[in-house]
Amino acid sequence: MPLIDLPPFAADLLADFERLGTVRVDTPVIQPAEPFLDMAGEDLRRRIFMTESETGKSLCLRPEFTIPVCLRHIETASGTPQRYSYLGQVFRQRRQGASEFYQAGIEDLGETDVASADARALSDAIAILSAHLPGRSLRVTLGDQSVFEAVISACGLPAGWQKRLIHAFGNPARIETLLTRLSRPQPVTGLSPEIEALLVSGDEATLVAHLDETMEATGYSTNASRSPKEIAERLKEKRALEKTALDGATLGILRDFLSLDLSLAAAPAALFAFAEKAGLALDGALQRFEARVEALGRAGVDPAPITYRAAFGRPLDYYTGLVFEIGIDGSLDVLAGGGRFDRLMTLLGARQRIPAVGFALWLDRIDQALAPQNGEAAQ
Amino acid sequence: MTITLALPSKGRMKEDASAIFERAGLKIIAVGNERSYRGRIEGLDGVEIAFLSASEISREIGTGAIDFGVTGEDLIREGLSEADSRVEFCARLGFGHADVVVAVPEIWLDVDTMADLGDVAADFRARHGRRLAIATKYWRLTQQFFSATHGIQLYRIVESLGATEGAPAAGSADIIVDITSTGSTLRANHLKILSDGVMLKSQACLVRARKPEHEADPLVARIADAVRAACR
Repeated sequence: MPLIDLPPFAADLLADFERLGTVRVDTPVIQPAEPFLDMAGEDLRRRIFMTESETGKSLCLRPEFTIPVCLRHIETASGTPQRYSYLGQVFRQRRQGASEFYQAGIEDLGETDVASADARALSDAIAILSAHLPGRSLRVTLGDQSVFEAVISACGLPAGWQKRLIHAFGNPARIETLLTRLSRPQPVTGLSPEIEALLVSGDEATLVAHLDETMEATGYSTNASRSPKEIAERLKEKRALEKTALDGATLGILRDFLSLDLSLAAAPAALFAFAEKAGLALDGALQRFEARVEALGRAGVDPAPITYRAAFGRPLDYYTGLVFEIGIDGSLDVLAGGGRFDRLMTLLGARQRIPAVGFALWLDRIDQALAPQNGEAAQ
Repeated sequence: MTITLALPSKGRMKEDASAIFERAGLKIIAVGNERSYRGRIEGLDGVEIAFLSASEISREIGTGAIDFGVTGEDLIREGLSEADSRVEFCARLGFGHADVVVAVPEIWLDVDTMADLGDVAADFRARHGRRLAIATKYWRLTQQFFSATHGIQLYRIVESLGATEGAPAAGSADIIVDITSTGSTLRANHLKILSDGVMLKSQACLVRARKPEHEADPLVARIADAVRAACR
C-alpha cells in the first residue's frame, strides 16, 4: 500500500530517476547525529530532532540525505563513479511548514569530468522541475566558490586572510564585516616582555620551547589540543601582518567581483574581462567555469535565462565549486538546491578524494507551487 | 486571579530577593515554618509565593506556570528561545552579578578576539582531525554568540555540568563558555577571557511571563512598579 502522504508526483519522480540511470538508495530514518553536527556545525542542533540511545549515543531523525547517502557509499565500499537517487522523508524544525516533509535528489559520486558532472546535475534538476511544473518559468541562480578562491589567491592576500574570506563566502554580511576589518591594521598587544623579546629575536625554537615549558608547568601539556608550535606559528603570522591592511585597490577589485550579477551566457566573457582589467591571473578557474557553461549547452540547457551571481555560495566548508538554486517566478521558495562538495567524502572518512556533486528537491514546496494551478483548474 | 511569584529557595539569592521585596513594601512571609516552600506577602491578598531553584524558575516562567520569578538573566536566556517575546525583564535587581564569557587557555597567546578564535576553529579539523570542542552548559547562548554574532560554525559543544573550568587542562575540551563573577577560578585554571568574549552581563532579575490576562490586572503592575522603584 502506498504511503498516503507521499506527493502525488512521487512515482513519476522515481521513474525520472530510473530513466536517468541512477541507483535508488534508502537510508535509515534514525541516523547517528555526529556526522551532521560535525559537517554543518552546532547551529544545526536546534533544527534537528535529537535523541539518545540507551548507551548514550546521539541519534537524530534524518535531516537530509546527502550525508547518509555518502556514508552508505563509504561503508559499502562501492566503486566510483556512482550516481545515487533517493526519495524519502526528512525531519527538521522549521519556522514555516511542517517539520516532516519529503525530499528527493541525486548524488553523483566519483565522476572526474567535473564540467560534465556539474552540467548534468543542473540539467537534471531543471528538466525534472520543468516537467513537473509545466508552464511555469524557472528562476535559476548559479555561483562558484572556486572562482572566488582564485580571485583572492591571485590578489596575493595572506594565506590566513584567504582562509577567512573563503570561510565567509556565501554570507554577504560576514564578507562585508571581514573586508572592513581587514582594511584596518590589527596590532598584536598584551604580550609579556619575554614573549615580545622572543618574537623580535625570530628564534622560533626557543619560543616553542618556552611555550612548551609553560604548558608543562600549568598542566596543559598532556592534552591533544593546540601545540606550542601551532601557537608560535600563528603568533608570528599575526605579528608579520599587524601593520598590513587590505589596500584600497584590492578592496575595489574584491567588491567589483562580488557585485557581478548577470546572465550565465555572458558570464565567462565578463569574468575574463574582469580578470584582465584587474590584472589577475585567473585562467585555470575561468577556463573551468567556461567549460561548465559549454557542457551545459551540450546537455541542452540554455544558459541565457540562468543568473550567475559571483557572491552566491554556501557557507559550509565542504562545498568547493558550483552551487545553484532553482525557484519559480513569483515565489521566494527554493524548490531545488545543489552544488559540488568535493571535500565531504574525505571529511566523512573516505580514504581517497572522491569528487561529488548533487542536488535535492523540496517536494512539499513543489507540491505547493502546483496547488494554485490545481485550484484554478478546478474552478 | 491569583498571581504566583517564584523566588529562589536558598542561599544568598533567597536573602537578597527577600530584602528587595521588603524594601518594595512587599514583605515575604513563609507559610508554616521557616523552611516551607510556600509563602505570601504581608498585607496583600491574591499573591502566592513559591520557593523554587533558580533553574526551575526559568523553566516555569517559560511555560507560564508562574507569573513572576526572580532568577538570573543567563538562565532565562539559556532556557528559553526568543526569550524577549515570552517574558518581560521588569527589573534588574543589582545582585547575583555574573558574566557569561568565552575563555581560552592563557597559553594561546595568538588568540585575543573572537575573530582569532574563528581562524583557529576553521583550521582545527585539518590540524587535529576533529572540531574545536567547547565545554559549556550554555548551549543556546553559545550557539547564538558563535554562529549568529560571530559567524563561527565549526565547533562542537561538549556538555559540562560542573567544574567546566577544568575541561581544557583535562583535555575534554579546548575552550570553555562559562559564568564568572571575579574571574579567579578562570585564572586559577590558566584561562583568559577573550577581549570581545563577554557574551552576557547577567544579574538577578524580576521576570514576568507575558500573559494577556496580565494587562488588566492592577496587582501585576503594582508588583512590577514597587520592585522597580526599590531597585533605584
